[in-house]
Amino acid sequence: MLSRTPRVALILSIVAVAATLSACGGSSTGTSSSGATAAPTSNTGGTPQQGGTINYAHNLEVPCLQGGWVEEAYIERQYTDSLVSQVSSGHIVPWLATSWSISPSQTTYTFHLKPGVFFSDGTPLNAQAVADNFYYWTNPKTANGDVDAYLGPYFKSAKAINNLTVQLNLKAPYSPLLSSLSQGYDGILSPKGLARGVNANCDDPIGSGPFIIQTWNHGQNIVFVRNPKYNSAPANALHQGPPYVSKLIWSFIADPTTRWASLTSGQSDVIEDVPTVDWSQAKSAYNVQEYVTPGRPQTLSLNTDLGPFTNQDVRQAFAYAANRQAATESAFNGEIPFDGNGALSPSTPDFDAALENSYPYDPAKAGQLLNAAGYTGHDAAGYRTKDGQELDIKLVYGLGSIVNDEGATLLQDLQQQWKAAGFNVTLVPATLTQLFGGAYAAPTAADATIGYWTSPTPAVLYITYQYWNTPGDPNFSNSTFYDNAQLVKTIAAANSSLNPATQKALYTKAQQIIVNAAAAVGVYTKTTTLAWTKSLHDVWIEDSQGEPVFSDAYFTK
Amino acid sequence: MSAPLVEAALAPHGEGRAGEEPATPPPGRRWRFWRRILFRLVGAVIVLWAAATFTFFVQTLLPGSRATLLLNEQTGQQKQYTAAQLAPINHEYGFDKAVIVQYFDYIGGLAHGNFGTSYEQHQPVLTIIARQVGPTFALTLTALVFAWVIALALTLFTTRRNRLLSGLGSGLEIVTAGLPYYWLGVLLLVVFAIDLQIFPVVGGTGVTGLILPALTLGIPLAGFLGQVTRDEFEKVLEQPFVTSARARGMGDLQVRLRHVLRHAVLPAITLSGWALGALISGAVIVETVFARPGIGNVIVTAAQSRDVPLVSGVVILVAAVYVVANVLVDLAYALIDPRLRAG
Repeated sequence: MLSRTPRVALILSIVAVAATLSACGGSSTGTSSSGATAAPTSNTGGTPQQGGTINYAHNLEVPCLQGGWVEEAYIERQYTDSLVSQVSSGHIVPWLATSWSISPSQTTYTFHLKPGVFFSDGTPLNAQAVADNFYYWTNPKTANGDVDAYLGPYFKSAKAINNLTVQLNLKAPYSPLLSSLSQGYDGILSPKGLARGVNANCDDPIGSGPFIIQTWNHGQNIVFVRNPKYNSAPANALHQGPPYVSKLIWSFIADPTTRWASLTSGQSDVIEDVPTVDWSQAKSAYNVQEYVTPGRPQTLSLNTDLGPFTNQDVRQAFAYAANRQAATESAFNGEIPFDGNGALSPSTPDFDAALENSYPYDPAKAGQLLNAAGYTGHDAAGYRTKDGQELDIKLVYGLGSIVNDEGATLLQDLQQQWKAAGFNVTLVPATLTQLFGGAYAAPTAADATIGYWTSPTPAVLYITYQYWNTPGDPNFSNSTFYDNAQLVKTIAAANSSLNPATQKALYTKAQQIIVNAAAAVGVYTKTTTLAWTKSLHDVWIEDSQGEPVFSDAYFTK
Repeated sequence: MSAPLVEAALAPHGEGRAGEEPATPPPGRRWRFWRRILFRLVGAVIVLWAAATFTFFVQTLLPGSRATLLLNEQTGQQKQYTAAQLAPINHEYGFDKAVIVQYFDYIGGLAHGNFGTSYEQHQPVLTIIARQVGPTFALTLTALVFAWVIALALTLFTTRRNRLLSGLGSGLEIVTAGLPYYWLGVLLLVVFAIDLQIFPVVGGTGVTGLILPALTLGIPLAGFLGQVTRDEFEKVLEQPFVTSARARGMGDLQVRLRHVLRHAVLPAITLSGWALGALISGAVIVETVFARPGIGNVIVTAAQSRDVPLVSGVVILVAAVYVVANVLVDLAYALIDPRLRAG
């Protein structure tokens, strides 16, 4: 097999050829419904036709059909309903819960559920079912990694008050609660299904959502069929009732050339993660939507616990030493936004735009900072040294799972620039096995990692910066290993603040602490792109996580 | 590829007595025949056992905890766990037993035809393989047929012709033999599926979807088989029996087809046994490019999650394919070279 670098170059060149070839063939008419907005917009056209199959090509396969990875949330959105839904601007609208009340202390939430909703196994969706889900998510044996990360520290109890009223009690006020419950991970599953155990819920989870899982052909696709009794669409859906289409085939097509070609050849109706070289063509010939995922962007987490990055000067020098903005624009053909604020992505509520251009490219400043840190020497290879020791950085990235081929090209570009500044950066591609095996979770494993944490709320900071070094219960989500008491207190105060203005000020302060310490150095945003054929209408991306929604979609002739 | 095999394949075969029928088999031949079958069977069992053992230990002894992997896959995280959190998973899957005990449990199961249950897909390994093996076999066998057709056509029509034609033939073989699957696959996809739209991009299991993936695997193999056959073909063309056939007034194509080819294909047949196994490993890449279902996809996913029973199951299957393919090669030899038919 070819080594990584030529392969990437090869894909790009071949894709370029493909683009040129097919650009000659098609004359495109009509307008593109592009937009960085996540709000569902009805792209008018024709009368909705009942039936048909949506062939959707996704870039990777997950090990489990529900769980705490955003790739799993995308799937969960198809077959489950959550308690609430989020629309752009962070506003919350009813879903399974038609209304809710919050106690003055903000520690008790009472949800009133929609009547007459059933899971696809016939079990009624009632208050007890919802309470059971809260216990399933937070029980260490069955935990959902994402739900538990938000809810775990605050969850006290959940109980059914009557058949359709469920009460959730918290240990402390938690203002992001509703946002967090709007995500796909928080889809409510059948309690009868949950009782089958973790494995059954991985392979064949049961929800009440618009589609029902028919078969999971491992390595190939998931076949969803329409839920003919669907009566629980969220308030922000474009129509109520069962989906128009009878089937949704969710295929895994990892190769970007093949994925794009499956759309242009008409074999797929919708594709995810459009190669950026094809994006401008996609905009003219297809319906497209782009979604900048809120939460932590694709950030370089620098290891503040061990190695050269324990020194803040070295971290800042690293940030100044490479032109991250130019490298991002070049690697993604200008289609994916740069984000210099390593704490949060620009689409997150309370994002501090003043930090967006932190650490602009300044090699002279990087040099001064390295001198100040004692890296004054140079070895034969041109790398900086301190007491004869070379400035070596091991940077780990999940290739194909967290970072796609274009992202890998970006890292290689940065690597060359860091080299010029005297950093000897070794790029280590990690497989999904290594990442899921926890191989790079501890501070001994790497000097830097790159990764995102998708979230509809700035409260994600509480997950990513809660103390790493807690005896007996280390927080591995703190990938910078940055333990700062003032930071943790600030975020906790923001989470429990009852006043939105105070809350914004506190989240802003937290971002400033993280960025000023250069614990996390921002690079680019995790961006979801969809392109779909013009005969298909009303596909949309929901707001909390960028989950594609197909339950309103219909074909016209 | 194993060197001795290739050397054996490249050694000259048959010195021009191919047409002669041997005398009645001497006594003891029959016994030798059965002894050979027995050795083959024992050899096959040893190969399969070695494949299973090797795969088991490689998978098991890799650094990192398998329980952590399973937990993180279920919860969608990348973290580490405390021993207390891992204990129930370790117990459930038997990871807390000594490795050697796990090994004997596994081999014992295999001896009884029990390939175990996939850690990740929670289904019997044989069920998973049975479901995915069809498309891969269809792909590799079609690729082998394509490779032979292309190689034979090149050899028959370009060997020892005028300088231009011969040069073109052997040049093509050298170039195609070196083509990487990934590059060739994407190229065929772009030209024939995307631009000319003759074939589907994502073929599924249909016949039209088989052509491009099979060509991707078959073209480099054709170059390789062609090179080997051409060498032998050139040697045989100089043999006296060829001259005598021509002297009898036989046409050129007749000579090439009926006399020369029969000798010249022997090394390529030996290589086909090896190639069938190699094609299965090539299928891993081709199945990704063409988004085809098959065993290649299964093994990639299984290896990623260190799904020991499933990875071992696929490896045993591939080893079994090698064994069977080599038996078939022996049989093919006997068909083509009558001297071996009686033995």
